[in-house]
Amino acid sequence: MDKEAIEVLARRSGLARALAEFPEDVIAAAKQAADVAQKIKRPTDPVAEPWPPMKAGTTL
Amino acid sequence: MSELHWMTVEAAARAIAAKELSPVDLTKALLDRIERLDPRLNAFIRIDGDAAMAAALAAETEAQSGRLRGPLHGVPVGIKDIINVAGLPTTCHSKVLQDNMATADAVCVERLRGAGAIVLGKLSTHEFAIGGPSFDLPWPPARNPWNTDHHPGGSSSGSGSGVAAGLFPMALGTDTGGSVRNPASCCGIVGLKPTYGLVSRRGVFPLSFTLDHVGPMTRTVADNALMLQAIAGHDPRDPGSAAAAQGHYGAALDRGIRGLRVGFVHHFHEIDTPANPEVTAALEHVARSLQVEGAEVRTITLPSLGEFGAVNRVILQSEAWSIHGPWLSERPGDYGKLGRQRLMAGAFMSAGDYMLASRRRLQMIAEVEAAFREVDVLLCASSMDPACRIEDTAEVERTYPRQARTPFNVTGHPALAMMAGLSVGGLPVSVQFVGRYFDEATVFQAARAWERVAGTDKKHPPIV
Repeated sequence: MDKEAIEVLARRSGLARALAEFPEDVIAAAKQAADVAQKIKRPTDPVAEPWPPMKAGTTL
Repeated sequence: MSELHWMTVEAAARAIAAKELSPVDLTKALLDRIERLDPRLNAFIRIDGDAAMAAALAAETEAQSGRLRGPLHGVPVGIKDIINVAGLPTTCHSKVLQDNMATADAVCVERLRGAGAIVLGKLSTHEFAIGGPSFDLPWPPARNPWNTDHHPGGSSSGSGSGVAAGLFPMALGTDTGGSVRNPASCCGIVGLKPTYGLVSRRGVFPLSFTLDHVGPMTRTVADNALMLQAIAGHDPRDPGSAAAAQGHYGAALDRGIRGLRVGFVHHFHEIDTPANPEVTAALEHVARSLQVEGAEVRTITLPSLGEFGAVNRVILQSEAWSIHGPWLSERPGDYGKLGRQRLMAGAFMSAGDYMLASRRRLQMIAEVEAAFREVDVLLCASSMDPACRIEDTAEVERTYPRQARTPFNVTGHPALAMMAGLSVGGLPVSVQFVGRYFDEATVFQAARAWERVAGTDKKHPPIV
């Protein structure tokens, strides 16, 4: 993710102030997030469900 | 009677019930020790000495007239400062919530008090239970009693440090990516992350809704079972609370492990994240010892630590962002640098990332469940290294992620970390036992077998 993309995403997420006051922390946060999902195997089954599942009537 | 500060929960409760020990004397002895040692350990954010002494006096009066509130009657406890204690602020070790007064006890605290425990005060954590030891927060980070130049692990840092140092015999911690088990590993005590949903999270400041667990931290396995017994149970007002019936967690403690099938997850510490040789040697020693005790040890393969870690991070940081986004937007300067960086990461994760992690999570659960059709309990690494020096930021950053705890936050299985031995540098190294859902009793059974062989419950840090 380049600097420009990071700035656009940060502003969209409400981090304009953080970007102005702590730009290096915003960049560090973006870098942490950048490639982490690529380490996860994509389910080959297109209907694979997530966890936790939706369960009506079991809580509250 | 042994020194009061090394008394187990079990022994103290038994002595109080038999009118051989005064809760006032016990509480006073611990408060004196806290006054003497805590300036070096920083386990506490707030010591609530007057309230503790008042509670101890009430407990003594009750005990003298034969009225015991429960199995923890008169025994002091420390509470991680992301957990509400009525009348005290829940700061989460952060400037952001410095004045966040709690008006009611968290359910886990309410249950501890119901069992007779005496709250000593609020304990240090990493800011909002994420990150690592930080020096730019309103309170200093806790230190390791085995060597105060070293970190005690986290995020339940004060809980681990204080239990190990004999400031209190039990503490509450929370665990989202290993935060009960990391300080248990670094400080050489017993820390359990129970099955997801077994202990209510109501009144605990959340980090990640689907990964957060509250867990007991003690110096012995039996004490851990006793503490879990007090705090476990369904809470209809916690949406994640399990409806499963409460077990008898200490039921198998002294059964031995003859015939127990133990699955040793070698690849975690041999291939995925190669461990420090002292840790590897200690794990092999634990496995051999359990075999000698009659367990059947076989190798088990699970998904890689790297993938478990990625799933944990995506879910944790996405869910944490949903909580912290508004504060990070308005007052980013009120966070410490480490917390700010970690908590802002969720802003850069997509809905697609979160769903990918959540879908893979279900498959990982199935893979661990498949392992439990072959074995009764898993044995694996917890930390890959002994605790490093607290001020060596680069080494803290390198070693903190070198662990095998996140898999069981992802899957929700019960997991216990405890001492496996001491390094040549005199710091604890650790082992982890993992069980089937709601089968904490078997986890305790295996852990107790190792404790009995190794005498880990008798090993205390040399701090005086």
